[in-house]
Amino acid sequence: MSGNKPNKQAGQSYWATVGRQFRKKKVAVASMYIACFLALVAVLAPFLANEKPLMCKYDGSLYFPVFKQIGVDFGLGQFPKELNNVDWKDLKFDFAIWPPVPYSPLNQDAKNIHSVSPLKGQNVPSKRWYHWAGTDELGRDVLAGLIYGTKTAFTVGIVSMFISTIIGIFFGALAGFFGDENFKVSRVRLWLNLIFFFLGLFYAYGVRGYILSDALSNSLAEFMWQFVISLFVFLAIMGVANLLASLLKKIPVLSKQVSFPLDMVISRGIEILVCIPTFFLILLVLATIKKPNIYIIMVIIGLTSWTGIARYIRAELLRIRNLEYIEAAQALGYSGWRIMLRHAIPNALSPVLIAVAFGIASAILVESTLSFLGFGSGEMITWGSLLSSARATPSAWWLAIFPGFAIFITVTVFNLIGEGLTDALDPRLKQ
Amino acid sequence: MLKYIFTRVLFFIPTIFAISLLTFVLMSNAPGDPVENMLTRNQGGEGGQSADKIAGEKAYDNLRKKLGLNLPMFYFSLSSKASSDTLYKIAKPDYRKTLERLSYETGNWPLVQDYYQSVRQLEFAILDLPKDSSTVTPLITLRSAISNLYLNYQDAVITHSLDNMTKVLHQQPSLQGALPALKNVTGAYANLMNHKTFWKNYIPSLFWNGTKCQYHRWLFGDAPWFSKSEDETLSSGFLRGDFGISYFAKRPVSSMIWESIWYTMLISFVAILLTYVISIPLGVYSAVNKDTPADQAISTSLFVLYSLPNFWIATLGIFFLCGGDYLNIFPPTGVADYDVSDPLFLKIGMQAYYLALPLICWTYGSFAYLSRQMRGGMLAVLRQDYIRTAQSKGLEKKKVVWKHAFRNSLLPVITIFSSVFPAMIGGSVVLEFIFTIPGMGKLGFGAVLQRDYPVILTVTMFSAILTLVGYLVSDILYAVVDPRISYSKK
Repeated sequence: MSGNKPNKQAGQSYWATVGRQFRKKKVAVASMYIACFLALVAVLAPFLANEKPLMCKYDGSLYFPVFKQIGVDFGLGQFPKELNNVDWKDLKFDFAIWPPVPYSPLNQDAKNIHSVSPLKGQNVPSKRWYHWAGTDELGRDVLAGLIYGTKTAFTVGIVSMFISTIIGIFFGALAGFFGDENFKVSRVRLWLNLIFFFLGLFYAYGVRGYILSDALSNSLAEFMWQFVISLFVFLAIMGVANLLASLLKKIPVLSKQVSFPLDMVISRGIEILVCIPTFFLILLVLATIKKPNIYIIMVIIGLTSWTGIARYIRAELLRIRNLEYIEAAQALGYSGWRIMLRHAIPNALSPVLIAVAFGIASAILVESTLSFLGFGSGEMITWGSLLSSARATPSAWWLAIFPGFAIFITVTVFNLIGEGLTDALDPRLKQ
Repeated sequence: MLKYIFTRVLFFIPTIFAISLLTFVLMSNAPGDPVENMLTRNQGGEGGQSADKIAGEKAYDNLRKKLGLNLPMFYFSLSSKASSDTLYKIAKPDYRKTLERLSYETGNWPLVQDYYQSVRQLEFAILDLPKDSSTVTPLITLRSAISNLYLNYQDAVITHSLDNMTKVLHQQPSLQGALPALKNVTGAYANLMNHKTFWKNYIPSLFWNGTKCQYHRWLFGDAPWFSKSEDETLSSGFLRGDFGISYFAKRPVSSMIWESIWYTMLISFVAILLTYVISIPLGVYSAVNKDTPADQAISTSLFVLYSLPNFWIATLGIFFLCGGDYLNIFPPTGVADYDVSDPLFLKIGMQAYYLALPLICWTYGSFAYLSRQMRGGMLAVLRQDYIRTAQSKGLEKKKVVWKHAFRNSLLPVITIFSSVFPAMIGGSVVLEFIFTIPGMGKLGFGAVLQRDYPVILTVTMFSAILTLVGYLVSDILYAVVDPRISYSKK
């Protein structure tokens, strides 16, 4: 793919060419717009569906309850006592501006329980309070659930793909760029790194295991903090290993260069990983965790779906590392790592884009399947959990159709974007 | 060719080993106490004497031995000097957890063990105390204090429980019998607190367990290989077809697997057959008639089908087509229930009637995917020079497509087999759940919900093996279709 380098003849950069090719596909562009719209819905979910008014005047003073709630969730400020644990709909406001859907997803409308149809039989004061997509068994508004489900789906898709992209690029780049022969280190450095790797794991995560698990049972933030400390301990230990290696390299016996077959090790590892049925693996992990939640699901999906990206990157780098500009960089005396990070990987990222688009689609699908089966959603409303509630109420067609349609649209849109990118990046189509 | 298959099968070994290791590691820190769950009888603790308690523990230990839980996890274990190499001998997981934490906090496993032994003696001493109307309340206090000692590692809780017990024992003259045991506990605990060696946590150490470990027992078994053994606590291991005992069904996992795998295999094979039978001609047709309205219609609908989540379609199908409040075309969920004496065609017919809707849901996704690949592969081949040559020498179109292009365009479709097959196995979880088909997916799913680890482990292993077989089959097919590929020599 010669287009990886700036395409001077057209006077355009590579990415501009790709963009132009992508824009030629009407369906892909339309999908892009739909995806952006859905992302907007996800971001603005609390303003689109909320039991609290966006703005109201109560008891003579002006409130912005939705904004306030966001502040309260972050631990900034408190609602005044008379507004704590109240049903906002029963309050007598001087005036109030309500969000488009005046219900929160977990808000139970006592007058409309037992799955009220969106077409008939709703017990609401006016059209303003109408449940446009009906309610579920507990009287929760389905449309609010759909809006918040968008948020969950996008979070899952993006976070898990972020994790898998990083892991995939890391392993794929190591395997592809260094291959079996080019990863040369002195004997002492190899051994010290291997030994200190286990020591690092021991001191950072073994000894600190209880500190980490205590932190996790307190709060996620504390856990992240402790985790970062552990990471620092680990990196420090690895640093010591490499410092020691630099010193010991002076001894001739230890300084002999050996090549570590990175490609072989990583490729074999990937081959083994792809043989594990992913869905069973995820179920397996969920079975061993006491209280699986949505974040754990994101991490698991991320940890199990990186092999495709790693393969793409590996294949790209196997090709790129033989190009002249890499040779030039080597001739300039740059280190292997620098060439890989600064010069090789940036040019190998285009196939990753395709993999990410398809990956988001499949991550959303896996998550909705899991929450359909009843895993992990817990207190959260997701499309999958809404769809599974249809199984309990065989007459509520709106519970079966709307959430499934939302999953279908999102998955289709990301698949179409992936298709469009594939065509746009395909060198055969380029003039 | 044979040699190639042989080396591939040889490659299965490290793969299976890695998968089993991964699942085993995941299981090793799983919560819950299966032995406790399986013992339905009264634990004998409440009103009983120490003799009952000992009998109860004996039954517990026997079952634990039968499940193989009395062994260390792996051939070796890597931990710190502070932790213990004999912790696995403590029967109850809850107690084990407390002791492990205590040995981490104090860094002194021998003294923790002394403390644990003294607590146990105290428990027995309390069980043997006289029971009458005046001692009912104090005994309840004592028992709850004991269980506090077993379950807590925090200094405050332990001190508080010990103080409480001392108080109660001193108040009631008839309970004085347990005082020496309590003194022992207090002494052991004080000794432990005075000899903390937290630094031992920082010294890594390797414990060697040898082949007497759970992993080895599970994989290879501990029963003798060539002679029959009467001892029913021995297992013959996964490789010899003994998959352990289900924690919930309380029967051998192997019988459960053989009952359920039949449905999954049946449905998967029929689904794959259907997929290939429909998608190959469709893909070829749509490629040959490229850019005609028919092709566009087929391509669009295939794309839509490909993105349709199958659990949604399945739910909708049950909703609208299987009785309920709407149409009644298909039977309710489940599998056909026929008599053994029914004629064969009736059996097949009934089963087909029941499995029709599941099969549709099983098939359409991979069929759409495959057709698209077939179309792409065909298009790529049709662009090539030799096809143009064939056309220009005046061969009829049919012959060009089916004789010259077809075989080469099959390659991408065959490589996909290796991903379609595992997808079917994985997809079986949600579809079998929706249609209540008693297959492997549903078995595995139920086991996950109940945390029935032997079943989960076996189902995972089986699906991994089936996946590997799928890869092998696709490799062999590849060689059959493409004569350029030869696996026999390099």
